[in-house]
Amino acid sequence: MSVVQAQPAPLAEEAPVSLWRDAWYRLKRNRLAIFGLFVIALLAFTALFGPYLTPYDFLGQDLEARNQAPSLAHLFGTDDLGRDVFSRVVYGTRTAFLVAVVVTTIALAIGTTLGAIAGFFGNPFDRVIMWLTDVTMSVPNLLLVVVINASLKTPIAQWMEARYLETLNPFYRETVWIDFLLVFGSMALISWPPYARLVRAQVLSIRSRPYITAAQALGLSNRIILMRYVVPNALGPLIVAVSAGLGTAMVLESAFSFLGVGVNPPTPSWGNMISDGLRVWQHYPHLLAAPAAVLGLASVAFSFLGDGLNDALNPRGSK
Amino acid sequence: MSAKTENRLLDVKGLTIEIETRRGPAVVVDGIDLHVDKGETLGVVGESGCGKSLTMLSLMRLLPNKIRVTQGEAHFDGRDLQKMSNRELRKVRGGDIGFVFQDPMTSLNPVMRIGDQLAEPLIYHRGMSRREARTRATELLRLVGIPGPEERIQAYPHELSGGMRQRVMIAIGLACEPKLLIADEPTTALDVTIQAQIVDLVKGLREKLGMSVVWITHDLALIAGLVDRVVVLYAGTIVEDAPVDELYANPRHPYTRGLLASIPKLSDAPASRLNSIGGTPPEPGRRPEGCPFAPRCPLAMDVCRSHVPKLEPVSAAGSHRAACFAVEKAREAA
Ligand SMILES: Nc1ncnc2c1ncn2[C@@H]1O[C@H](COP(=O)(O)OP(=O)(O)OP(=O)(O)O)[C@@H](O)[C@H]1O
Ligand code: SF4
Ligand SMILES: [Mg+2]
Repeated sequence: MSVVQAQPAPLAEEAPVSLWRDAWYRLKRNRLAIFGLFVIALLAFTALFGPYLTPYDFLGQDLEARNQAPSLAHLFGTDDLGRDVFSRVVYGTRTAFLVAVVVTTIALAIGTTLGAIAGFFGNPFDRVIMWLTDVTMSVPNLLLVVVINASLKTPIAQWMEARYLETLNPFYRETVWIDFLLVFGSMALISWPPYARLVRAQVLSIRSRPYITAAQALGLSNRIILMRYVVPNALGPLIVAVSAGLGTAMVLESAFSFLGVGVNPPTPSWGNMISDGLRVWQHYPHLLAAPAAVLGLASVAFSFLGDGLNDALNPRGSK
Repeated sequence: MSAKTENRLLDVKGLTIEIETRRGPAVVVDGIDLHVDKGETLGVVGESGCGKSLTMLSLMRLLPNKIRVTQGEAHFDGRDLQKMSNRELRKVRGGDIGFVFQDPMTSLNPVMRIGDQLAEPLIYHRGMSRREARTRATELLRLVGIPGPEERIQAYPHELSGGMRQRVMIAIGLACEPKLLIADEPTTALDVTIQAQIVDLVKGLREKLGMSVVWITHDLALIAGLVDRVVVLYAGTIVEDAPVDELYANPRHPYTRGLLASIPKLSDAPASRLNSIGGTPPEPGRRPEGCPFAPRCPLAMDVCRSHVPKLEPVSAAGSHRAACFAVEKAREAA
């Protein structure tokens, strides 16, 4: 389809530029945002296909070649078990994206639903939901996660073991995903409040716009008004928040790994690589530097993109 | 009398609307009576802030927060609008009563295609499939005179000019062929030639669809050829009510005379036209005792500042009514 179409004469006065295309145009002119977008695209590609392209298996140990400095054979060197650090960082990218995407999706779903209900239907929902938000936000994040992990991990593992002995179903032998479940679950549990607050504020402001009254005057149901009139108009700031949230989730996962409540070895994550690396950094700085640099790069990229989106979607905002 | 009531589409009695303010409740609409017959077009005229929009919104129970109806009733087609269940009310909204809003720039959903905004009420009220609704949406756009409707249904509101958007609003209001179309100053945001086009459009559609229309405006001249009867509102009260020709030929209330006297200056900005009366209407909650128009009235007498004039017949037929002490009352024939 060609972009230029014959316009009826009386309408030619206003150039048909779509809202999103307009935002994309502004985003393109923001170099930092484009840099962020490029880095994120590269990392996303690595997360998807990297593990099939790496020269070594991320678990492959080569005890002959332990703790080697970076070289052509091992771009980021090797660790204390002789595993290729580059391959592990690449695989860790997959972990990081998995954590970021899953956690942000869950947090977004919870936050958007609660925020929209609070803003649209008002009290008593509003009061209860805002109370829940405040309570969640007032509990220190790390404390909550440590408590969840400490209290749930063992019982769940024991339950799974018992199930396995009962049924001999190999499904219950798989423990990696318990780990993921707990990490994802607890991270999502502490990440939703900002989304809820943002969506609530958006809904409150949109609720009083004339087009909402117009939709009500058409007899449309609350559900349709919420889904087709309120939520889409609240989307801009939400996209910005999600971009920033993805970066935050990656950093959060690393912090948890560092405290021993993140994704467990041997699954490589940047977080557990950093925490391993920290113990020996005086002798083998590359073991810390490689994962830390990639995490830093990812976090910076998401924040640049988030800032860029913010400017692109709110032309009347800063500058 | 019974023939008259049968023909009534909308019947409003003693409607009173109050706003909650920091200084307590303030009356914005003060016990007004309104009626619209089947097939009739009523013009509602008055300065900005006199309560035109709130009156109409209250009929559909769409008043904003902190504003509510405290007295009066409104019957539509014999049914009490204030007592309807939400479910029944939703069927009336958009289905039986179409609404065209004041500002075409902000009354359309900016992120929804025109076609979808037209389709939504058809799907709900008429049970159409999305495909049928789209076809109908195209027809509606053609009906309101939008060129290239097949492409236009794909457009977003900001891709259309103000006049086109107002046509879209009218198309949405008409989508389900309502019995009553309430148009709230549908032309204020537009320039003069387009205003006239929109008036002609509604005139044609009214005849085609056989509906009743309430047309709100502060521009008496614009609607002269459109409406059958005019109600003049001032500060939340009806000050005059007459068949349109009668009103133009023989305006009785000083406020209406002021409005009409300023018509030759049609080309001026609306503000200067209204200022020819001098002064501004009272704010809600600060209305003077007696006649609300007294502070601006050239004919004001002592009685005007202590007593409220009632809306009373000033013609033998009783179809022309005014609320003013200076107007001689029609002597009752009986
Ligand atoms: N949401 C609101 N909150 C507080 N006051 C309001 C609100 N909406 C209207 N009012 C007040 O109620 C009065 C009547 O308002 P209304 O919108 O009915 O006027 P109008 O006759 O439609 O005027 P206009 O010609 O400007 O549309 C005005 O004095 C206005 O200030
Ligand atoms: S009642 Fe008195 S103040 Fe009011 S319009 Fe008539 S003459 Fe003027
Ligand atoms: Mg109004």
